Amino acid sequence: MNSEGTLNASPATPAAPAKGNGKGRLLIVAGAVAAIAAVGVLFALAFSLVSQQGARPTAGSPAPDFSMALYPGYTGGLPEQIKLSDLRGRPVVMNFWASWCVECFKEADALEAVYRKYKDQGVVFLGVDYLDTEAPALAYLQQYNVTYANGVDVQQKIAKAYRITGVPETFFIDKNGIVREVIIAPLSEAQLSASIDRLLEE
Amino acid sequence: MMRRFILIFLSVFVSSWLITAIAFAQAPVPDDQTYRIAKQLNCPTCAGRNLADCPTDTCTQWKNEIKAQLDQGKNAEDVLAYFEARFGPTVLQEPPKDGTTAILWAAPVGAAIVFFGVVGVVMWRMSQRRSAHTVAATAAIGPNTSAHASAAADPFVSELEREVKDEL
Repeated sequence: MNSEGTLNASPATPAAPAKGNGKGRLLIVAGAVAAIAAVGVLFALAFSLVSQQGARPTAGSPAPDFSMALYPGYTGGLPEQIKLSDLRGRPVVMNFWASWCVECFKEADALEAVYRKYKDQGVVFLGVDYLDTEAPALAYLQQYNVTYANGVDVQQKIAKAYRITGVPETFFIDKNGIVREVIIAPLSEAQLSASIDRLLEE
Repeated sequence: MMRRFILIFLSVFVSSWLITAIAFAQAPVPDDQTYRIAKQLNCPTCAGRNLADCPTDTCTQWKNEIKAQLDQGKNAEDVLAYFEARFGPTVLQEPPKDGTTAILWAAPVGAAIVFFGVVGVVMWRMSQRRSAHTVAATAAIGPNTSAHASAAADPFVSELEREVKDEL
């Protein structure tokens, strides 16, 4: 009660909307849109990276072309820098390996033996050294008396193009550059010979 | 006797110092340096795993390579550059700050700015609204003509005032 004997206990009149209300709401909406756009850009980037890798080459699909520098002393009669497309007209046995790969040891002798058996028929053997450091790789090649062409897959570009799942993996490519067979396991001499015979028959 | 003792002491001291100096000069690079560099690299076969902490054959080989390069006199930058050149930038724990990876670096910062900006605006608006309510409530209690007018217009308040007057 005040001096006039009047009670001023009336509930407060509702506050008028703050002046910045519209601006604040706009900021929130703009922030939300920016956040959604950022997430969208990240998704688009991830999608483009995945789609860039392409599909894994299977029997009947063209072998992705690539260039590779061969290890000195392991050219197998080819130039030191090779390009797969330059080998058209000759069947290619492309083997992914690594010196740390225990399963690769099992097929190393077979690969060399079969290479020697077929090299005069124009079959090219290409060893692609995957995720390996140079000294152990060269020691591995020396240990198994490898004489066919071998090179390093710099930055795993070839492995990515062929979408390999590990080592060893062997791609049999015909003289027209078409993948005819893919084997994800260590190979025996008999298996290798049979696959190469099929390539030569075509 | 004393001179002989000093001579023996000095010769033992000098020879042990020499042996230690030679041993340190020929010592291979300490493993902690290899470990520090390996910490900056990813295991190539185990997704998301650090090279230093990975016991696979691949990683053991890579760590041996780091040690071999350090023993050749290369520094950490040289070793990391070798690994990046041979195995690609994905081998590095921290992607290089170039155009293609700029979004990876900018996105978290941008997201944080947007998040804190939105939180800041919301909090500022809440505080503004609260202070507006306080001002309005204070104004209603004080001797204010508009408050009187609104009080008079309120039937409950009018009734209350009448009852109080009757009591008085």
